[in-house]
Amino acid sequence: MTVVMWKPRTSRLSTIIDQPGGLSVGVAMAQARANLEDLKGQAEAIVAERIARLAALKPPGAGQDPILALNEAYEIGRAVIDAAGPFDRDDLCKAAAGLCDLIDAAEQGAPFDWRIVTVHAQALQLILGLPPEADAARTEILANLHHMVKRKIPTIDQSAD
Amino acid sequence: MSDACEPLRESAVFNLTEAVVMVVDDSPFSMEVTIQALQGFGIRVKYAVKNAAQAMDVLKLYPIDMLLVDCEMDGHELVRWLRRSGLEPNAYVPVIMTASHVRRSRVADVRDCGANFLVTKPFSAAVVLERIIWVARDNRPFLEAGDYSGPDRRFKVSKPRDDNERRADMVRLADHLARQAAAALEEPKA
Repeated sequence: MTVVMWKPRTSRLSTIIDQPGGLSVGVAMAQARANLEDLKGQAEAIVAERIARLAALKPPGAGQDPILALNEAYEIGRAVIDAAGPFDRDDLCKAAAGLCDLIDAAEQGAPFDWRIVTVHAQALQLILGLPPEADAARTEILANLHHMVKRKIPTIDQSAD
Repeated sequence: MSDACEPLRESAVFNLTEAVVMVVDDSPFSMEVTIQALQGFGIRVKYAVKNAAQAMDVLKLYPIDMLLVDCEMDGHELVRWLRRSGLEPNAYVPVIMTASHVRRSRVADVRDCGANFLVTKPFSAAVVLERIIWVARDNRPFLEAGDYSGPDRRFKVSKPRDDNERRADMVRLADHLARQAAAALEEPKA
């Protein structure tokens, strides 16, 4: 039998938040956006560097542990999401998340189709080079990537755009 | 408590200037993004640490009001340790976890570690602020059941039935509410 202990708790945070003073949600958001804007250049540099690193990754050769190479590609995908996310680059995040999903879904011991990494690296480079107004091209690239993810992981819960 | 998905009103006012906040993230850039967003919200990050070991050292010594933990670098292990640490009041502190991507093999670990909320990236300042205000007003009781220790994972607010209530947690809730009501009545006399 499982014993359930039930403890009503009130956090100090719940008291602090209603103290006099403070600021409105609108002001807080404006301040946060202004602070984050200062990091935009750094984020763009990180994204470009990580995508270049992903494109330069070589498939694991004979005798090399494929898990290490896949983990590196996965970490690069995560880093792209971390850096691009706060600056509304949902396109880059979606492409990188697809790569992470595919690597995560790879079965241990089963061969991994390295073209998945290559295609995602090329797609990320293409997206990064697109002008902001190239919505149609961006949508098409993401749709193609999504098609690949859907084919490899039919149960994935991710929309194309 | 407001609904977990309810958007914030622009004019809503909050004050978290006195909150003692810790951020745990192994990525220096992600850490900076979180700190800058929190500063915009009027929240000063007192402790910014890059791994679970450093976080544990701080948590053992100083009380904090809110913890933001990145899911990677085994953030769920840190939260699980904290909830079972017996540290008062830190074991019950509101915890928000962030994740750029959660591996399928870790979904259950993250769900069961005892965090109040998981924010999946892409990082959005608006979502983080919504969640901070939400966890500040989160009055779900803490449960210790089997391997789980943390806030009640049921988000739907349930109430004791007027008659024939047999659910143990609802019976306890009814007792608790009755005691609170009795204490409120006695307070003016003191």
